Amino acid sequence: MKRTPLHGWHKGHGANMAEFGGYEMPLWYGSAKEEHLSVLTKAGLFDTSHMAVVEVKGSNAFHLLQKCFSRDLRECLGPTKRPLTPGNCVYGVFLNVSGGVVDDAIVDQLDENHYLCVVNAGMGGVLTQHLLDHAEGLSVHIRDLTDEVGKIDIQGPAAAKVLKKVLQDPGAVFEGMRYFSFKGHFEDSSGPTGTVLLKNNIPILLSRTGYTGEFGFEIFCDPTRVTEVWEMILDAGRDFGITPCGLAARDSLRAGAVLPLSHQDIGPWPFLRNPWIFALPFNEDQTGFTKDFTGGEALLEIHDADYTLPFIGNDLRKVPVTETTTVQTLDGSPIGTVLTCVTDMGIGKVEDKIYSVASPDKPVGFAPRGLSCGFVKVKKALKAGEAIRLTDGRRAITVTITYDIRPDRTARVPIQSML
Amino acid sequence: MKELNELILPDDVRFTEEHEWARKEGENVRVGISDYAQDQLGDIVFVELPEVGSSFSKGDEFGTVESVKTVSELYMPIGGEVVAINEELADHPEYVNTDPYGKGWMIELKPTNPAELDELLDKDAYLKQLEG
Repeated sequence: MKRTPLHGWHKGHGANMAEFGGYEMPLWYGSAKEEHLSVLTKAGLFDTSHMAVVEVKGSNAFHLLQKCFSRDLRECLGPTKRPLTPGNCVYGVFLNVSGGVVDDAIVDQLDENHYLCVVNAGMGGVLTQHLLDHAEGLSVHIRDLTDEVGKIDIQGPAAAKVLKKVLQDPGAVFEGMRYFSFKGHFEDSSGPTGTVLLKNNIPILLSRTGYTGEFGFEIFCDPTRVTEVWEMILDAGRDFGITPCGLAARDSLRAGAVLPLSHQDIGPWPFLRNPWIFALPFNEDQTGFTKDFTGGEALLEIHDADYTLPFIGNDLRKVPVTETTTVQTLDGSPIGTVLTCVTDMGIGKVEDKIYSVASPDKPVGFAPRGLSCGFVKVKKALKAGEAIRLTDGRRAITVTITYDIRPDRTARVPIQSML
Repeated sequence: MKELNELILPDDVRFTEEHEWARKEGENVRVGISDYAQDQLGDIVFVELPEVGSSFSKGDEFGTVESVKTVSELYMPIGGEVVAINEELADHPEYVNTDPYGKGWMIELKPTNPAELDELLDKDAYLKQLEG
């Protein structure tokens, strides 16, 4: 099993460790519930150095990504569909020729014809090969930076206040830092994305993105210095109640934010009829795509794809997700499988309305026990509000199909109001 | 995660291989899960217990314990009739984490055959099992 540079820190701080994506990672330190709640109300710090980065550079870099990535880089930013430009990033998927997911990714543009693809644990080599397979005749350098980049995520409403204490010139860094934009580079460089330095002169790539649905940043740096950065941020965050967080909290936070876990909620089946098809380059009337790309042609031919839908439970109870866990209609007919089932411990139902511990209008004394949530993959088109049964054969819970799960998420809140 | 030498393993309880504990309390026997089990499961968020008056044999499933990570079955360390359940766990499932042998107890049994208690693992045998 592989280890991140923070492995020793995790072990030394009593983390409960488990295998994930080929890495030995912390599941939680003291309490996964406290870690989850800390991200909703204060700040949490995650070791995400198991994730991989693939660099794509050269005169045909744009061309290669237009051919392989699901977003049309000429029109993918914001509601007005602006082109991707240096300092901005975008979420999408890489598909195989059958329209199945190789992996999902955030693509960062550093410069003209210079990109970073941030992918999941163990996927650096896979994506590198996938891109090479499509790069014949193109002038492009593809470099797998797995193990050459350290990464930690600070997530939660206090994230900018904490970083303000460790950044050189935080005012300039935070200026105009929109959701899905980034500044700096983890190597010393003077490209268009500028330089972001920590007070101890470590260069970082600071990206206003994350995997919790909450306000925050992903920080990329030299892996040999990631422990130093981690400790510096924890130290600066003490007054704000920052908590180191493990993968359990990451999983429950992202599910509540309706974000997919690659290879679990999306995978080698057609990337269609799911909550994330905004990542496909649909034309205005949704009849086709604005560009040709790998997997696109296959998707347009498929008309019987399963439906991947978010659900929310009536209380905190889950069903264990195993190969035999099924989705049934209320009269017991099997209609599909459960992809994710976790408990978002920061939400609860009061008179049929769902609140989060971070909801501004939450009832006085609101102390939720949590609600189960996740994703099902079913043969039938179900509408929000329809009830289904999830069972592993031993336990059954009734849950409701929904569009959204945890209310009042902060990921998109303007940075000025978070300082 | 607790190291083996950090685990609380009281002398007055017996253990099962599935990590339940049983302790004699007068004529009755109290049952819960071990410090090792609660540490492995993480935050306990829900405990599903049987009705008072129900009877089970040794090894029967009598309930479930739900943590942030998973849902696990609870098995009877010995056979008997449930004479009491820990109703405080409905509002405070975290007692299983903070005080697994005290406030985190789960059910109290009237044993069918009290001698079954002696067949369970003592502290040393349980520790040996954990050491693998």
